[in-house]
Formats: sequence, structure tokens, C-alpha cells
Amino acid sequence: MSAEVFSPTPFNPIAFLAPRTNVLARRSTIIADLSDLLPKEGLVSEPRKLVPFETDGFTAYRNVPLAVALPETTAQVAAVLKYCHNQGVPVIPRGAGTSLCGGAIPQQDAVVIGLSKMNRILDISYEDRCARVQAGVTNIAISDAVSADGFFYAPDPSSQLACTIGGNIAMNSGGAHCLKYGVTTNNLLGVKLVTIDGEILEIGGDMLDSGGLDLLGLVCGSEGQLGIVTEATVRLLAKPLGQRPVMFGFDSPEGASECVSAIIATGVIPVAIEFMDKPAIQICEAFAKAGYPLDVEALLIIEVEGSDAEMADQLAMIVKIAQAHNVKVIKESQSATEAALIWKGRKSAFGATGRIADYICMDGTVPLSKLSYVLRETTKIVANYGLRVANVFHAGDGNMHPLILYNVNDPIEAEKAEACGMDLLRLCVDAGGCLTGEHGVGIEKRDLMLHQFTQIDLDQQMRARAAFDADWLLNPSKVFPLEGRAARAGKTE
Amino acid sequence: MMFTPDTEAAAAAFIGDCAKQRSPVEIIGNGTKRGIGKTATAQTTLSSSALSGIVGYTPSEMVISAKTGTPLELIKASLAENNQELAFDPIDYCGLLKSNGKPTIGAVAAANLSGPRRFVIGAARDALLGVRFVNGQGEIVKNGGRVMKNVTGLDLVKLMAGSWGTLGFLTEVTFKVLPLAQTETTLALLGLEDAAGIAALASAMATHCEVTGAAHVPEIVNAALLNGQFKGPGATFLRIQGSAQSVPSRLAFLQQRFANMESMVVEEYASRQLWQQIRDVHPFQHDYRPVWRVSMAPSRGHEMVDVLRRHAGLAAFYDWQGGLIWLRMEAGAEAELVRKTIAALGGGHATLIRADDTTKHTTPVFQVQTPAIAALSARVRAAFDPAGIFNPGKMG
Amino acid sequence: MQTTFSPEQLRDPQVALSESIVRKCVHCGFCTATCPTYVTLGNELDSPRGRIYLIKDMLENGRDADKQVVTHIDRCLSCLACTTTCPSGVDYMHLIDHARAHIQETYKRPFIDRLIRTVLANVLPYPNRFRAAVAFARLGRPFAPFFDKFEALKPLGAMLRLAPKSLPKQTIRAPKKPSGEALARVVILEGCAQPVLKPSINTATRDLLSRLNIEVVTPKGEGCCGALVHHMGREHDSLEAARRNVDAWLAVAGKLDAIIITASGCGTTIKDYGHMLRLDPDYAEKAAKVSALAKDITEFLVTLELPKPSINPEMRVAYHSACSMQHGQKITEAPKILLKGAGFEVVEPREGHLCCGSAGTYNILQPDISAQLLARKVKNLKVTKADVIATGNIGCITQIARAADVPIVHTIELLNWAYGGDQPAL
Repeated sequence: MSAEVFSPTPFNPIAFLAPRTNVLARRSTIIADLSDLLPKEGLVSEPRKLVPFETDGFTAYRNVPLAVALPETTAQVAAVLKYCHNQGVPVIPRGAGTSLCGGAIPQQDAVVIGLSKMNRILDISYEDRCARVQAGVTNIAISDAVSADGFFYAPDPSSQLACTIGGNIAMNSGGAHCLKYGVTTNNLLGVKLVTIDGEILEIGGDMLDSGGLDLLGLVCGSEGQLGIVTEATVRLLAKPLGQRPVMFGFDSPEGASECVSAIIATGVIPVAIEFMDKPAIQICEAFAKAGYPLDVEALLIIEVEGSDAEMADQLAMIVKIAQAHNVKVIKESQSATEAALIWKGRKSAFGATGRIADYICMDGTVPLSKLSYVLRETTKIVANYGLRVANVFHAGDGNMHPLILYNVNDPIEAEKAEACGMDLLRLCVDAGGCLTGEHGVGIEKRDLMLHQFTQIDLDQQMRARAAFDADWLLNPSKVFPLEGRAARAGKTE
Repeated sequence: MMFTPDTEAAAAAFIGDCAKQRSPVEIIGNGTKRGIGKTATAQTTLSSSALSGIVGYTPSEMVISAKTGTPLELIKASLAENNQELAFDPIDYCGLLKSNGKPTIGAVAAANLSGPRRFVIGAARDALLGVRFVNGQGEIVKNGGRVMKNVTGLDLVKLMAGSWGTLGFLTEVTFKVLPLAQTETTLALLGLEDAAGIAALASAMATHCEVTGAAHVPEIVNAALLNGQFKGPGATFLRIQGSAQSVPSRLAFLQQRFANMESMVVEEYASRQLWQQIRDVHPFQHDYRPVWRVSMAPSRGHEMVDVLRRHAGLAAFYDWQGGLIWLRMEAGAEAELVRKTIAALGGGHATLIRADDTTKHTTPVFQVQTPAIAALSARVRAAFDPAGIFNPGKMG
Repeated sequence: MQTTFSPEQLRDPQVALSESIVRKCVHCGFCTATCPTYVTLGNELDSPRGRIYLIKDMLENGRDADKQVVTHIDRCLSCLACTTTCPSGVDYMHLIDHARAHIQETYKRPFIDRLIRTVLANVLPYPNRFRAAVAFARLGRPFAPFFDKFEALKPLGAMLRLAPKSLPKQTIRAPKKPSGEALARVVILEGCAQPVLKPSINTATRDLLSRLNIEVVTPKGEGCCGALVHHMGREHDSLEAARRNVDAWLAVAGKLDAIIITASGCGTTIKDYGHMLRLDPDYAEKAAKVSALAKDITEFLVTLELPKPSINPEMRVAYHSACSMQHGQKITEAPKILLKGAGFEVVEPREGHLCCGSAGTYNILQPDISAQLLARKVKNLKVTKADVIATGNIGCITQIARAADVPIVHTIELLNWAYGGDQPAL
């Protein structure tokens, strides 16, 4: 415990933009008009039915929206957007609602546009190694569709079973295997984007380089602020010959994190390096029964790929480094089923945490050399708040995921947890990292943006944003601090 | 007039003044790619060449930051000392454009350069982690950072990549780097026509071999490669990089797969040379005729070339599994014909990389965008450079 | 997830249970991905997460059920795919059971809906009534297209279509007493609809068990397991059925090693008797004992040492895991192990986790969604190029047989054949 006196950060609940009273007042007209634009059952407007849409994976904040549109075609998306634009109604895009930063949390004066009915794979081309899919297709559905033919879609966020490709594009999602294969933006070739005024734009396509400004790169990760993606063309890769996750158990989190830095420094880049501390190991083992060692303080799951000889070769080097870092247990998966279980446990870590407590999950990224320091400080900060933490994260790229455990039904503890989370994010930024590696800013980290950026940095981003949505109707409460926004975001000429 | 600030602050002050006077500025590094795109209509030139030096390089974190005027060769040398490299292997345009000078790391970002590995590892945009730049109002803006994964705020890093100095004056860039491949080798399949060659490339890419170079060079062009040692109607190249342990087995697998074709193995040293020649468009370096760089879906590039051949004299070769087509026209640039043919075959993007000034000023150099995208791009530009002073007309 | 129940509300044990279930949900959304209605309809309200939210909102506010909520609860198949997927261990089954009982108590359904449900609840669980009804339905079948024209009457059309054109003859063979000392002594749940529709299943079971030297005893007073009415929210009826069966089985003299169930839908419910009757001081313990004895036939067989199969079938079998089997009872491997052990080549269809749309009375009450799920299931089964489909639930057999182009049988029929019994009709 540090010597300095601990002073908890004062808790400030995250605010949403005040609802536009002129929109609320026209509720019934707006609903009637929207229902003309959508198919039967394509509009949810009854009060009870709107409640389930009030939040996403970040349940601490909730707002029942004005209505939920569930379009089936791009044309319907365009019609709804055009209408909302003309009427000054805010719009909240929603994929599967799995965001951990509140990216899909509505506001009372907003129409949610859910892409869940647009869930078809439109076209698969193996010769061009790409697939064109609707935005509501789940991440894993793409890999499932091409797996039998020896291909896969690389980004694999832990929620890949449920999260949609549209949501992945909005958040530029990563995953365990992006250490080798990159994140969404590196695997995206094109999108069909509907802008707030209802225009349908084709950005990128099935080729690699597009002329002009890289609007695709800007749209990816823009958190639904620039438009709504209804279709995407993504890259497919040929599957490796073999894959083998190996578990390395350590006596201390520091030992494990130093081992990670050492592996990367040697120039051995495995496909994935995942870290779990003791609480996380126990949680995941309880759900997946994957055979994680329970008698260690920290675990690395390191996956290698290739032929048997190649994997053995890489593993030998990794084992040598691990041994130099006092590895306690090394456990190889003995079969494909076992390997699948190891990943199932890891990918279910957040949900499985729900068995023992409520949690909020942070997502800061830090330079690899700071992993060990940040882990230590995390433990201190969390302990100072009188809370518990489980750490499970993508160590290979320094993407931390401390899960702060608390009881959401206890308002004091809930406030502590949120304040603690903010402190952990500041820690990451101060260590030379960033607020979010793959989950996005949403509302959760919005008010910390000025800790990472200067006002000038943010103003520049907001002006770029305004080039797409001058009236700030798209997901307007997210990403950028609310204060002084209107004056700064100014319309462009 | 040329201004070469040696600090970011000086650049910001200078740009601030230009903005106030609405005085256009041409932005360059060392000017080696000045010939691409229209010559900016500006009397003042702002060069990053005096902003030089590596700011931070931590090999164990696979990240390098440098001021934008730092020569690329210096970056490459520093990386090589630590067994690392810029994996996207940026093209060197000096040969093709017959330009002199040292390409800068800033230009690698500003022009979103890449090389033969682009189709598996990405381009500069994919490795670019962070930028600092001065916007059109003279403000210093940073975006991205030094970590591998970062989705905090809008990704202006991507936008800056390939913006050819039309959004801001880059002052510092941070790239992700990767370990150098221990070794490499190339399997050359001989005697294939374009369609068969491209099909072979696609077939190789559907294997687990992690091919990192997939090019097809027709007979008319391949004499220029490795002193003309590939005889016959076409040469189809598959590169494998990796550890000394894995390369031979992958090579053997590919040889097995293409056992029914005539082939030869290009060993390590020659292989490196070969891919550098492909990367730098070596076959078209020895004349001044117009050169197009076309990006299309891999399976359609050769169809496009086939159609074009019926209407114009040209030479072409393919990289990126067929998705990057280098076209050298025998006479005029034939912009309309080229673009029409591409559009008819499912679309793509053609950039007129080399042409005489008259041609460049009468034809759009970059792919013409739909009015909606063009309008949106103009609004985005205005968000960075409201007075429109940066490289006016460059991407027009 | 946060909940806001008052201490007073939590004094109701049902509410308290539901609260504890909802508290485990972290709203991660994984369940949506494997929910058949969500993948079909694409509306969060037709997903487990949406329904959990609807139920939570209804219970927290102490509201009676209303049409908005009932529409989406009714669309739930109770296939429990969500519980297999859920990493947080949300006990969705008992939550939706509570919601259905709450609906039954507090919501007045439109007349036709009420009528249809009353008829189903009073016919299906009773073999004689069911047999008579099937005969009657044969006469009514030509009217099915007429009913289809009206949303509220669609279930009638579905009912008429589902009724088999003919019923198999009932041949009840008395089980042979094993010679010498039996390996085990079991009861086989006779069931209600199954013996009418496909008596061959239990015949095969009895035959095989007796050849394996297992003594099968027939209890008196056993009836329908109560699953059908349970899923309609008719709590009173389902508890009555449970009590009656508990009494019947525990009245069997001598040691009982297992209660064998050949319909996984029934198995899920009987294994839940302990929970259903937990608040009944007279039955709680007895019901728990029965639940512990309940075994699916494959779950039981897989523990036995089986002889060498007496045939070499050279047959490709697509194993369709009933939802109540894989999600309700979490039995996934036993049927496949047994089929493979008996010499069959076993293949599994893609999207094996998705329901075929049968789901008790679902194919009658929700014919449109059911038909879409059936089509999807049959398409996936067809891809396997199997000679025959095997499954462990009569509901799936009836449903899939309507659309599949290869025969579908109960797993036990194939096993019985492989181990010396009659060949099933293929």
C-alpha cells in the first residue's frame, strides 16, 4: 500500500444531452410517420417494449428511447435517417447491444435504429478472399460460413458469438488474435454507409486501395457518429495448418507480464498472448472447465500457429523465455476440444464474472514495458476503494481489461466502482497508453477524453465529425465531452 | 519560396500566418513524389526536411516514432540493427518517377505507401499508430499514440494516411514495426498466361502457407526482372518468409500443389532483389511513358487488362494476388478508356502515377469519386483546412 | 444487472427466485446469438435478453401481464439454448416458467386463444382423448387453409395439419422378466402423446432393456408428466401431474434404480419436479428423490456395458439433439456415443443448437415461426446426406417428419435394432 493518503475521486454520474423537448412533444406524430417507413413489426413504440432497449452491455446507465426502428433494408435505414434528419430527431445505431462502454445506450428523445434484422451474408468470394455481409451479421457467423472451406474472418472480439459486424466497425473491435491479424480496420475493405441525410454511400469495395481520402478508416471506429453502416465487405484469410494454445502459470502477475515483454522483445510474435490473474482464472474455470491451473497467481494463454514442427519450434523459444521468468506450470492443450475449451473460458470471462458479482470492465492500453507497473498500481487503486478486481486481458498488445467487481444494488459501492474505473483509465493514459483499446469511448470514457487529448485535438475530431453530421444527431451524447461542445464543434464551411 | 521549419512550433506559426492570408502552401518532404498528382498551385512550399530524427524507438515494444522529415533509409537502418522492419515495405518511387532525393518517413504516411506485402500485412495506414500534425489553422493536433490498440476518439490517423498533405502538415509519425523475417524464398511458376497465373496465386492464397508475395508478370515485362532469367509466356511468383525452420516446409507444400507446372525456386538473396524490383515497378523504370497504378478485386484485374489490350498498346504486371495492376501505356494515358474499362468490370481505383504535365493537367490523376463522396471529402477537408491552403488541387 | 424489488416483493419466494436469477444476468447479449426466435425475427424482444428485461420490468413494477409482454413471452420456445450459451449461469428456465405462471394468473387471453389452449391442455395429456381427437382432426383437415386466413385461427389450421393421417396399431408386449437376477430395476415413463403417435419407441425400449437383463416394472396411476401444461403456465395442473407421478413411482415396491424417460421433453420436466414442488412441504423431498432417479434412456444406457452389435448397419445417421436433451438436460454425448458404439456413422447438422420448431405445443400456437425453424432445420439436416435422422424426443420426430426427405426415428429404435431387436420402419 502506498504511503500517500488516498483520496477517492469524487463521483460524477455521466450525463446525457438534455432531451429535445420539441421532439418529445411530437412523439406520437414521429411514431406514426416512422411506422409508414417500416415493415410490419419493424417499429417498436409501445412503452413496455421499449424498456429492453434502454441499455447495452454497460447497464449502469439506462434511457428508454422514443422508438426503436428495426429496418430490413438499406433503403429503409435511409428513409428513417432522412426523416429523423428533417425532423431533428437524434438517432442511436444499435447492433447486438453488446457494447461495454454504453455505445448503444439511447436517450429519451432518440430513435434507435437496430440492425438486427439485417443479418444475411450476401456474397462470399474465395478468389478475392472477401465476404460482403449485412451489418447485423454476427462476427462469428462470417467465420462459420467459410470455415468448412478453410477460411476465417480474423478479428475475434470475445463477444464474437453475439456482436455484429456493424458494431465491430463502429467500435473498430479487436480480439485475442489481433496481435497477429490486426483489428477490424485492418480487415475491412468497404462499407455501405447511410449518412444522416439519408444518402447511401459506397466507401471502399472489394479492392485494397481506394483513391481519395481514407473515409473508410475514419468511419471505422467512429462509434456510430458518422453514419450507419448497413453492409460491409471484409477480408477472409486462409486458416493456418494448426493452432495450439498453451497455458503458462506464474507465481506472480509481475512474472507473467515481464515474460510477455520478453517474448515480444525477442521477436517471437505468437498469434495471441492472453493474461488472467487468479480471480479471473477461477471465474473462467468455473464456467468452462477448461483445465486452467488453479494454483498459480497468473496465467498466460499463448497461442502458436502453423505446422506441428513450426509450432514446436515457436513453443520451444517461448518455453525458454518463460522458464527464465520462473514459470511454474506449462500445460499444452491435448486436443482440439481442449483448445476450444481454453478459448471458450477466456472469451466468456466477462459474462462468467456475472456468476460471482457485478462488474465494470475497463479497456485501457499501455506500452508493454509498463504492464507490470500498471498491474501493480491497479491492485493498489482498487484496494483503496475497498473493491476487488479480476484481470483478464490481451497482454500481447498491452490491452488491459481490469474487471472491477461490485454490487450494483448497493449505490455507494456502485459509485465507488465507477470512480475507481476512471482512476484506472487515468493510470493507463499516464503510463503512456490510451483510454480504450477496443471497447470504444461511448459514454463511459467520454468525460476522460481531455485527460488523453488537448481541447485542440478534440476540436479537430469534432470538426471532422461535423462534416458528416452537422446537426449532431447521430449518437450525440457519446465520445466527446458535452461541455462547450456546441460552440466548438462548429459547422464547417 | 521554400520554408523548412526545424521545429513543429515554427511550422505552426508559419501555417497560421498563411491561413490568415489565405495563402496556399505546397507541402512536401524531400519532394521525391512531387510528380504524383497535380502540381499544387502555390507559391510557397513548406518542407518537412528539417524536421528530422527518431524521437522514440523501443524495439521491445515494436514501435518507432520519428519526425516526418527523417529519411526513410535512416529509419530502415535503425530498425535493421534491431532485426526489425516496416513490414508493409513501402515502395520507393524514385526510379519510376526519376526523382532525386531521400524519401522521408512522413511521405510514407502522407502517401500511404506500401509494397508487395500490402495484401497480407496492410499498408502504411495499417501500421501507422499515431500522428502529430499542424492543421490549416496553424494548430498542433495529435491523434493516435504509441500503443498497438487504440480506439480512443475518431481515427484521424487513417485519414491523414494517404491525404497527400491536403489535410495538414505532418510533423511526427509513429509506426508499428515487426521482426525481420529470418529468411525468404520464392517459388516461380513458369509459362502461365495471365488468367492461369492469377488463378494460381488465388489457389496459393487459399492454403496455410502464408504467402507474403503474390505477383504475376507477363512475358513482355518479365525480361526486366532479375536480368531476364524467367523465360516463357509469364512468371508467377509466390514468396514465403519466415523462420529457417518453416520456409522450406511451406515451399515444399507449394511445390507439391503446383507439381504439374514448370517451376523454379528463387533463393533468398535473389528473392529479396526480385520483390524489390516488383515493389519499385522496376520493369517500367526505363522510359517516360504513362504509368497507371490500378487497385481492383484480384480476380478482375487481368480481365481489365485483357479488355484494354484490345484497344490500346500497353504492358502490365500484377502484384497483390492480382489486385494491384501496374499499367504502362505505349502512347497516351488513355484515361477515359482505362477508367471506363475498370468501371465496367466491377470498379476499382486508377491513379495516374506517371505522366507528362500536360496530361496530368487535363486528366484527373486520382480516381474520380462519386459526387456524394467528393462532397463529403470536401467537407472533411474543410474541417481540417477551412481556408483551403494545403496543396490546393493536388488530389483533384 | 441492477434490480429494484422492494423487500416486500421479495417475500414472495417466486419473486425472490426470479430476482436472484435476473441479478446474475450481466446483459452481455451472448444468449441472443443462439436463440432461435431472435435469429429468425431479429428483434431483441424475441430474445432471451429482451424477455428477461420484459419480465424484470413487469415483476419489479408488480404489474399484471399485458399483451405487449405476453406476445414476446409466448414466442419463447423454452428450448433453453440460451442457458447453454449463458456464461453467467442465468437460470432462464425458472424465470420464464415464473413469467408463464404469472401470465396465466393475471392475463386474460382473447377468446380463441383461450379456447385453443384449454382444448390442448385437456386433450394432449390424455392418450384416449388424444386418439379420439386425431380421428376427429382427420375429418377437419380440409378446413385448415380456411383457418390460416385469420391470424387468431392459425393455430387451428396448424393443429389439423399436425394430426397424423393414421395412427399406428398399439401392440403392447408384456416385458419379459429377466431370467436370474436383474442388473437393475427401472420404470419406463409411459407418456401421453408418444404412445399414441409412436408406440414403437417404448416397445423398443422395453425390448432392449429386457435383453440387457434390466427389469422393467409398471407402476399404477402414472400419467402425463405435466410438461405440456407447465409450458402453458398452468401451474396448478402441472403440479398436480407431478404429484400424481411422484406418488405413482414411489409406490413401486422394492428398490428402483431409475425412472427411464424416452421423450427428452418429459425428462426435462421430471428432472425439475424437485424444483417445482420445492415449496410443497409434503412433496418437496419426494419430488427431489424422483428427479434424482429420472434418466433419459441414453443417459442410462451409456452407463451399461453393451454387447457387440448384432448387425452391421452401414448407415449414416444424422443425430438431431432435441433442445430438451442438449439444453434442458445437457445430455450431448451419450446418444452419439451409443449410436457410434452400435456401428452407425454419426453426423451432426450445422446449427445443431437451434430448435426444430416443435417445442411442445409451439408448432400449434406459433405456426409461422415454427414453420421457419422447421425449414431451417430440415435444410441443415439435408446437407448431412444422412440415410436416417435419429433423435430422442417425440415432438421433434413428429415435426421433422413433416418436412424431411429421409426417415426420422428415435435413437432407441436404432439401438434396439443394432442389439438384436426389430428393425424400425425406415
